[in-house]
Amino acid sequence: MARQKAEKIFPYDYTTTKLDNGLTVILVPMDSPGLVSYYSVVRTGSRDEWEPGKSGFAHFFEHMMFRGTDKYPGPVYDSIITSLGADANAYTSDDLTVFHLNFASDDLERVIELESDRFQNLKYNVREFQTESGAVYGEYRKGKTSPWEVAFEKLQDMAFDKHTYKHTTIGFEPDIKDMPNMYDYSLSFFKRYYRPENVVILVVGDFKKDNVLKLVKKYYSKWTPGYVAPNITPEPPQTQERSTVVNYPGKTLPLLIVSYKGDAFNVSNKNILSSVLIGDLAFGETSDIYKKLVLKEQKVQFIQADFGFSRDPKLLYIYSMVKDPRDVEYVKSEIYKTLEKFQTTLVDNKKLEDLKKKERYSFLMHLDTPDNVAGFLPQFITLTGGIDVVDELYSGLEKITPENIREAAQYYFMPQKRNVVLVRGENQL
Amino acid sequence: MRYLLICILIMFTVTLGAKTKGGKSMKESLVLLPVKNDPTVSFKIWFKAGSQNDPKGKEGLAYITARLISEGATKNNSYEEILEKLFPLAAGYSASASAEMTVYSGRVHKDNLEVYYPLFLDGILHPGFSESDFKRIKDETLNYLTTTLKYSSDEELGKAVLYDFMFQNTPYGHIEEGTISGVRSITIDDVKNFYNRYYNRNNFTLGIAGGYSQKLAGRLQKDLQALPEGKNEIAPKITPEAIKGLNVVMVNKDAPATAISFGFPICLTRGQKDWYALAVANSWLGEHRNSSSHLYQVIREARGLNYGDYSYIENFPNGGQRQMPPVNVARRQQIFEVWIRPVPNETRHFVLREALREVKNFISQGLTKEEFELTRKFLKNYALHYAPETEMRLGYAIDDKFYGIKGSHLETFRKMMDELTLEDVNNAIKKYLNYDNMKIAIVTKDAESFRTDLEKNTPSPITYSTPKTDKVYEEDKVIKDYRLDIPSENIKVISVEDLFR
Repeated sequence: MARQKAEKIFPYDYTTTKLDNGLTVILVPMDSPGLVSYYSVVRTGSRDEWEPGKSGFAHFFEHMMFRGTDKYPGPVYDSIITSLGADANAYTSDDLTVFHLNFASDDLERVIELESDRFQNLKYNVREFQTESGAVYGEYRKGKTSPWEVAFEKLQDMAFDKHTYKHTTIGFEPDIKDMPNMYDYSLSFFKRYYRPENVVILVVGDFKKDNVLKLVKKYYSKWTPGYVAPNITPEPPQTQERSTVVNYPGKTLPLLIVSYKGDAFNVSNKNILSSVLIGDLAFGETSDIYKKLVLKEQKVQFIQADFGFSRDPKLLYIYSMVKDPRDVEYVKSEIYKTLEKFQTTLVDNKKLEDLKKKERYSFLMHLDTPDNVAGFLPQFITLTGGIDVVDELYSGLEKITPENIREAAQYYFMPQKRNVVLVRGENQL
Repeated sequence: MRYLLICILIMFTVTLGAKTKGGKSMKESLVLLPVKNDPTVSFKIWFKAGSQNDPKGKEGLAYITARLISEGATKNNSYEEILEKLFPLAAGYSASASAEMTVYSGRVHKDNLEVYYPLFLDGILHPGFSESDFKRIKDETLNYLTTTLKYSSDEELGKAVLYDFMFQNTPYGHIEEGTISGVRSITIDDVKNFYNRYYNRNNFTLGIAGGYSQKLAGRLQKDLQALPEGKNEIAPKITPEAIKGLNVVMVNKDAPATAISFGFPICLTRGQKDWYALAVANSWLGEHRNSSSHLYQVIREARGLNYGDYSYIENFPNGGQRQMPPVNVARRQQIFEVWIRPVPNETRHFVLREALREVKNFISQGLTKEEFELTRKFLKNYALHYAPETEMRLGYAIDDKFYGIKGSHLETFRKMMDELTLEDVNNAIKKYLNYDNMKIAIVTKDAESFRTDLEKNTPSPITYSTPKTDKVYEEDKVIKDYRLDIPSENIKVISVEDLFR
């Protein structure tokens, strides 16, 4: 049993245990009278859909996981979860699939039994499989009216040639339409990815660690290893800027997304840590460009950056909604100027220290319920396999200097790494 | 007629129960929720004002006022300066205006309370009413009304259209963001006047929660006496028009799929025993984003026609973005509402028939003993997840004040799950729900052809690309000819361009 290092920012004590079959179990007891959050984190997302014609499958499979087993068929599973009054759901993104439940502590053994059963013994027939594919297509249709969905679909397709980040999590539309014919493939997907070495169980809340660990061992130990890693082609370095214009079949203010190729997450990489801070320093509510374009000139409805983490090199995004189509080029040039400034000028040290303080307090204020704690951790679990990295990340952020910020800006924001998408509403210039 | 009478009686109770100026003691207008180990402090100041108080021709005024208070300058600081000062605290403040409530909220870590407190107070006591901030917020609101709401999410659009249709010609008859002409005509003086009238020292309830010190409540109460002088406002009457038969409003646009919402007003609010009984029934029929509920089972699970199907007995804005019910959107007049998420255009007639038929069956048959037992057991535990955060619990406590609930709705809710009987639930269904008189909002493509299909009760056989159970095929034969009998004068088609004008 491994314990985390003594120096910590994460405010709760926790243990990480690896079972013989490779399953990792992270237990985080906290003061939350009678409530527990139970997360099963599968380190597979749309990134792992490497075979042609199979995009969207990780998400589709998330749906299939609710179809039940011989012991607990779907309706029986649903009825038990209902009788527990559990708040149960699941989600999928590029790098992971997460199944989560919030429920009363007294029901822990029941939930562990149910969850371990469906991860080991999932069973569904062709008809159920095909019907569920209809719901997935419905989800695609529901999202399709948003200009943002249209923008990201296009951006990822343009920015990546080889890597699976080329498609969004919901998948390419022709692949979604073809899903009903993929029953056999779905079985192989389950066999390869839903294996103990690729899954982390995270339990947060009001419980006794020893007791829960014993139960997890009891119900999951027979699960056999067999994970097969996906054969993902790395993306070759981008050598020149890419940009495109998308016509949205409805009305919207122009959406501008300027993005740059990033790096695979590595907590020791100062460029990555610096980029997180640049996002807020350069485009947050107290940034110069926000004051200029949002508050003073009111040229844009909003501007913000999302410089997040990913398992493989992905994108650092800056998005804006421009009020007048004629100002798009101006806004773009202001974004470029902002980034150039970070490449040439050292950021004010007080501003940087204020941001570190803000990061620390928003982290602490957020971790107030089992679900909020558990919901924050899966991204780190999928990136590194555990949560020790949280302390490493926050202590790493504390050490970032204005020089690190400048170096990271020089490294990332080069024109040849840039990908730009403009979404125009109908009848716009 | 019986239905209408019940409405009027309840409305009277509320009106008579309202306190006038000076009639409310300090204690009555204070909600305290100490949580010893909570490292944060949450504040909520509820003003009795909302979109129902928008003057005619100025629809959107309550919404814009709330946003300007929380996203604009004060007399002491520009908005830029406010953002700079709040930045290292990882804290902010916000104000939201729903139909009846405006709530000014903030949350901060205890370590930063002393720096935060004067900023929080300054926001509500000394708004700067800056022309520049006003213009920014007005532009954003107009963009929302003219483009975002109309084009980026048809299901949210459908729900907004249903609410406008349901409450037309009442003070609830426009969405919180207002109307395009209303927002255009609002001036900064309108905002000042609204603030002076409603954000007054006799018209608020203060809530504090978390790890605050005892002194803080007294200090804040005293400091809030610097709000404008004014009276305890009495809310306007809301009398939705009686509905006869099925009434449809169809929004015509180039929609890739069809969004459907329907319902009717119900005169029942939380706190009453019948409300909890109806909550059990509603949960069985269409618990929000829960795969066990009936509508979800028959439309999504059995037929794969869409992403989800839910029903409500309380307003549930932004349902696509949230799992648990929201707080501080309380209303005296609620509706029973069914939300069918987008379905393929070619199945729209079938799904509308199916959903209405299911509601009819539900009302005619009620719940079985088994369904009742399972649902109440579910809700008793599920309610534990409504408000795990201190800030949410404070939101519920403020709503308790709104509804005049002695004690706590959340506690009552769990207690009622033990006490209710099947008879209570099935009686509540019969007493408050109906299937003959409804308003229906549909966002779809080529609405005129759907209108013709509805007028003629055209059969709507359905084919699936994937096999279904025999039970589904048998039932579909009945659904395809299920008569809705909607007279043509009850069907209105409007272009998306003409909405929210």
